[in-house]
Amino acid sequence: MIDYFKEYFDYKLLAVTLALTVIGLVSIYSATYDAGVGVIFTRQAIWSGAAFLALLVATFFPLRTLQRIAFPLYTGTIVLLLIVLVVGRTISGSKSWFGVGGMGIQPSEFAKVATILALAAFLSKPTTNLAEAKHLFIAIGIALLPMILVFFQPDVGTSLVFFALLIPVLYWSGADNFTLAIILSPLLAAFGALLGTIPFVIAVLISLALLYYTKKNLFTAAVVFGVTIAIGLSVQAVFERLPMYQQKRIVAFLNPETDPLGSGYNVLQSKVAIGSGGLFGKGFLQGTQTQLNFIPEQWTDFIYCVPGEEFGFAGASLVLILFGVFLLRGIKIAGLSKNPFSGIAAIGIVGALTTHVLINIGMSMGIMPVIGIPLPFLSYGGSALVANMTMAGLLMNFYSNRKTY
Amino acid sequence: MSEREIGHPARRRVLTIATISIMALLFVRLCQLQLLYHGEFGKKSQENSVRSVVKDPIRGYISDRRGSLVVDVGPFYSVTLTPSEYDPRNTPFLAQLLGLSQSALEERIAKAISYSRFVPTRIKRDLDYRTLAAIQENLYLLPGIAFEVEMKRTYPTRARATHLLGYNREITELQLGRVGDYYRLGDVIGAGGLEASYETILRGQKGFTFYAVNAKGQVLGSFEEGNHDVAAKDGFDLILNVDIGVQAFAESLMTNYRGALVAIDPSNGGILALVSKPDFDPSVFSGVTPSDLWTKLNSDMSKPLFNRATMTRYPPGSTFKMVLAAAALEEKIITENTRIQCYGAYRYGDRVFKDMKAHGSVNVVEAIQRSCNVFFYQLMMRVGFEKWTEYGRKFGFGRATGIDIGEETSGLLPSSSYFDRVYGKGRWTQGYLVSLSIGQGEVGVSPLQMALYAAALANGGTVHQPHSVQFIRNKRLNRLEIVEHNSYPTGISSHTMELIREGMRRAIHDAGGTGYAARVPGVISAGKTGTAENPHGEDHAWYVGFAPFDDPKIAVAVMLENAGFGGVKAAPIAGLVIERYLYGELKRYVPPPAFPSPRPVDSARVITQARTD
Repeated sequence: MIDYFKEYFDYKLLAVTLALTVIGLVSIYSATYDAGVGVIFTRQAIWSGAAFLALLVATFFPLRTLQRIAFPLYTGTIVLLLIVLVVGRTISGSKSWFGVGGMGIQPSEFAKVATILALAAFLSKPTTNLAEAKHLFIAIGIALLPMILVFFQPDVGTSLVFFALLIPVLYWSGADNFTLAIILSPLLAAFGALLGTIPFVIAVLISLALLYYTKKNLFTAAVVFGVTIAIGLSVQAVFERLPMYQQKRIVAFLNPETDPLGSGYNVLQSKVAIGSGGLFGKGFLQGTQTQLNFIPEQWTDFIYCVPGEEFGFAGASLVLILFGVFLLRGIKIAGLSKNPFSGIAAIGIVGALTTHVLINIGMSMGIMPVIGIPLPFLSYGGSALVANMTMAGLLMNFYSNRKTY
Repeated sequence: MSEREIGHPARRRVLTIATISIMALLFVRLCQLQLLYHGEFGKKSQENSVRSVVKDPIRGYISDRRGSLVVDVGPFYSVTLTPSEYDPRNTPFLAQLLGLSQSALEERIAKAISYSRFVPTRIKRDLDYRTLAAIQENLYLLPGIAFEVEMKRTYPTRARATHLLGYNREITELQLGRVGDYYRLGDVIGAGGLEASYETILRGQKGFTFYAVNAKGQVLGSFEEGNHDVAAKDGFDLILNVDIGVQAFAESLMTNYRGALVAIDPSNGGILALVSKPDFDPSVFSGVTPSDLWTKLNSDMSKPLFNRATMTRYPPGSTFKMVLAAAALEEKIITENTRIQCYGAYRYGDRVFKDMKAHGSVNVVEAIQRSCNVFFYQLMMRVGFEKWTEYGRKFGFGRATGIDIGEETSGLLPSSSYFDRVYGKGRWTQGYLVSLSIGQGEVGVSPLQMALYAAALANGGTVHQPHSVQFIRNKRLNRLEIVEHNSYPTGISSHTMELIREGMRRAIHDAGGTGYAARVPGVISAGKTGTAENPHGEDHAWYVGFAPFDDPKIAVAVMLENAGFGGVKAAPIAGLVIERYLYGELKRYVPPPAFPSPRPVDSARVITQARTD
């Protein structure tokens, strides 16, 4: 009985997921401790229950059916994203919410799951061949469409995730290095250009090297390199069109000390919060940074400061270790899966969550720009929690079906 | 694409290594911040840094139609305590200064600690000057203790207008959970009346002042010379339609009654006065909210918290007869010349419905003038239930009026489908209609609805949405904004209206009229009295009317619970209020009111049952 349970139920992944969610709830409790009788905490606790149900559904959902409904799901979320663009509610400058009763629903979170499944369904088809340009473009298009819709909400952070997850997914699906270099180099150039001239030059050099060493034909490589430079140069123009709050965040990332009460203020205070935590932290509800509300809306994007300050190195590294175990477990499940659909979807999930973890925790510690994406399982937000729990459930589903072709 | 290429083991290794590298990168940075730089950041958080203190905006003022300030704000002082700076050994001394028992003070300190150790929490609000001076003298001995100046509502006029204006009170924990992020414990929120319905307009927007503090929370000075402070935005003012002199006078006339008075400008539905008695002094809540007082008001048998002007459903009695008259005339069931014989009683089946006396042969105008019941009993049988309900609806009965003070009832205007639902199809008889024809039985109206009805009769048939606020003074755009209201026509012909108005005029001015007590010197007015039977005690007294007859400026409805005849009790009050409004003063002598204690009632239930005797 126990063996049967272990064989079909990935209790390790479940334990890690639940541990992260509990740490999240504790952190939200602390971060909102004096902000009015715990409304935020209560809401998140209720959402956790709903999210756990979503996890169970995802775990026991028939795999074949899932594969069959991947495209309809994807189409549905695209329609939702379009509707949001037209009628959504605006929260902190971004139009990404549906008002349902008192609570908002964020379709972009669910679009992530649907896009991963659609990519996996397409790439696992026996007729798909990534060496054919047409098939490659379709795959890129599947990710690009929601990315563009989310970008114009405008939610640059979340839109980035759609593109970022595409790279490991294509890699896993057997795309050759040259294809990856073609996709990666404009991204590198754009990112580098945002950081300044020297990083841009370095990015261009890396792109050049990547393209040169992986090239299949010189002409394509040259064209892509030209496009890369053009994108890098036009970033400045695009940057000026970004909404003010995102411009400020990017500038502040480059030099947080210049603007201690503007966008850089958060990063500075968040670094102080984590740094002052020390080995074992200041104790639950004792963090001066957290309790004095130095970091506005800490329960959303800067939630990592709470374990960092109140539970110190012990708490903060526990969070990192839990994420590490979760992500590696995801890759392992992908490797174990005999069914290519499961494998690709698992890698997509790992890719998306890795992007979130890297950008969010990196930003809290001042090594990533403040682009405002939540930390999975920890940040306040019902839709994100439901979507993330669904992804954890899917991984558990793939695990129990790993021997099915 | 063949399956071998998907998930190649080599690629799996690469992805694993990439993931480990990312996690390692974050881990290295974490070690750097928390282990290597801990000293530096620890110090920074010690010295740190900025604390934001909420600056409360000044709540909007309220003034009346003549510009008199009705609701003002004034300062009061509170003592705050910051637990992290406070020395518990001072508790006995502090308790003595504040005039609190030691255990009560300890309880409040515990509450402050549970709220936040670093933020000042109010431990006693609205200090009297003696306490204030005592604390001030000893402040240097009491670290962690400070003052805060807050603003509270003051009421500079003689009027209370409790149910119209509402009042301010400390937000309850229950409300905090419901109303969202703006409010914090100890904040003041509008309760009832305009204070509640215009809460977001009156309250303004909080500001923030930033102070440099150390980790112990001690204030070191203003942060960067206050460059980052956000100024509080004061609330917008309300300018009312109400005439506060008339309001105060009407309140004084109603002192010894339970009931309500509503006066409306018939040309636009503006509320001129709205009185509900008994009431209470709204200023008792504006500083601290004494919980024993609240309990007392809440459990008072005469229900002073209850807005009788808008929340009640009283049977309207004879004041409702004009609805039936309008239905009969408009549907051509009678003409102005149709006469009905009144022998002083009306027999329906085996039941006899009485009248005050035998009125003889009366037409519709005379029937209104003399309030002849038999005329309307017979009219109801000819008009029928459906038409009666339809015309009642046209005058706004049976639905909410849309008044801007939020709390109101739609009343009860029965229809045949309503009776089918309540009693069952075929289980009620036409006999029920006889009672309804004279406003008795299962018809329930609020004094506000009656005032609106009087206003529609006054202006020739338009029902306006009643509104107490005329303008909002938008302080950000620095302009007056008009408060919009809806209006709809009853669609009743001017000929019908003329006949009904003539009946109401005669009721006041001609011999045999029931409302002569409402006469105003030098003004022709019109009105109708009503006396509604009530199984719980004496009759309710009603009066609705308007004046001047040719160019109405004011419409009034008065309702007095268990006071007896409408013509005797309610009509004089309406007459005095009309006089005070039209002349701005009284032209005749008024005897000072006597002060008997109001009789208790065992229930606020005000709908009488359909009579079967």
